[in-house]
Amino acid sequence: MKMSVLAFALRALARRKARAFALGGGLAFAVALVAAVVFMTESLRAEAERAHAAHPDIVVQRLVGGRPTTISSADAAKLVGIASVRNVTPRVWGYVFLPSLQGNVTIVGTSRNAPPLSIANGVLAEGRDIAPGAHEMIAGTELARFLGMRPGDELGLPTTNADAHALKLVGTFRSSLDLYTADVLICDEDDARALLVLPPGDATDLAITLSNPAEARVVARTITETLPGARVVERDLLARVYHLAYGRRAGFVLGASIPAILALLVLAWDRASGIGPDERKEIAVLKAVGWSTSDVLWAKLFESLLVGASATALGLLLGYAWIFWLGAPGLRPALVGWSVLYPRAALTPAVDVAQLLGISLAVMGPFALLSIVPAWRAATTDPLDTMRT
Amino acid sequence: MNHARARQIAVALVVSPALVVAGLAYDANARRAAKAKDAAAIDALARRLPTSDLALSGGARWLRAISLEEPGAAFADGPASPDPDPAGAAMAPPIELWSASQRQR
Repeated sequence: MKMSVLAFALRALARRKARAFALGGGLAFAVALVAAVVFMTESLRAEAERAHAAHPDIVVQRLVGGRPTTISSADAAKLVGIASVRNVTPRVWGYVFLPSLQGNVTIVGTSRNAPPLSIANGVLAEGRDIAPGAHEMIAGTELARFLGMRPGDELGLPTTNADAHALKLVGTFRSSLDLYTADVLICDEDDARALLVLPPGDATDLAITLSNPAEARVVARTITETLPGARVVERDLLARVYHLAYGRRAGFVLGASIPAILALLVLAWDRASGIGPDERKEIAVLKAVGWSTSDVLWAKLFESLLVGASATALGLLLGYAWIFWLGAPGLRPALVGWSVLYPRAALTPAVDVAQLLGISLAVMGPFALLSIVPAWRAATTDPLDTMRT
Repeated sequence: MNHARARQIAVALVVSPALVVAGLAYDANARRAAKAKDAAAIDALARRLPTSDLALSGGARWLRAISLEEPGAAFADGPASPDPDPAGAAMAPPIELWSASQRQR
């Protein structure tokens, strides 16, 4: 019996094609927009957390007047003796503005005992790692393409230090790592120091590795006492930073989408506020030929379910295709931030079945339930009265 | 549209979200498995980078490394507090200003 009512509901929708398509289309659009933002936010957060494990347990910066400044190697020596600190590495990195790019590139100095990068370990697309003292560099694929450079080419970066050498490109990062390397330029620590005009003995920050990462909080407090005014960033707090950063951006985009969401609510209100005269007459005829109130309610519930289910399925499919198959055109700049060098690597879905089902039920449930009250009102009125009006 | 055909289409529409969810979950799993092959490369690369932050906003120093951002950046939540995404993200600074400043240097 229920299957026959379901088939009847479909044919009833086919009789009111334009309304069904308008309702389903609006719903599908709203679902696609919300799902796309959720898919992309989750994906970015997962990408940031993917490299999280390799981050130092603690990073220490020095603040002057509330702003970060370089930190002395003498400060590093003060931290070596703290219990649980395995090693303290002064790091040299910073930003250089490229006028031709109209943006900053991130210069990263490599210390002599750094782990190697190669095509074999999957980091480089072409070329090799830099040789210490040879004035060489590795650049992100996107940066190299933007500057029109190929391995073997040399580049003189703008700096106020006349002693800084031009750097020879000896390798490029794989494009699948673009999300981390789009604007990165790795060179020897001495070259980075010269480019960034960092005095000998100074570092951008200190990376601290602990023998027991669980003691990070205690060590961080000791560092703050040892170096008053230092800014201590613990690795474990970064997950919260990523959550806030991408959550806030998602909120911003969703906030801008309020008009679209409102359109959906208006459509839903249309369902909740009553049914049209044609539908009333149809219900009256059904009651007159012997349908019970329960049958009529089932028919109306199935109508809503058919529209809601197909629109949800279409919306999820569109949202997913938008982000992961088409590369999120239009939405990507809004969510990833603005830059000259946009990473072009495809995003990896982080969404799971529970989230997909959650979005589906959050849409279909209220939508189907909204149709019950007006249908019940129409189904409980006298069929003769309805047909006469 | 006859009754049997209508019934088949209706059933297909009702179960379509479940089919789409299953299909997307399958595709997502396949993509995650493909990405897992990059895990060793990401790990090796991350050890050479100052931060695991994504290269999304290279134009702005205080947004490029959101985990190590400048605490004194525009619209920080508070002194020395994590400032994950200051309002500066909403609007790019004028490019002319940058280029003029660079020319002066």
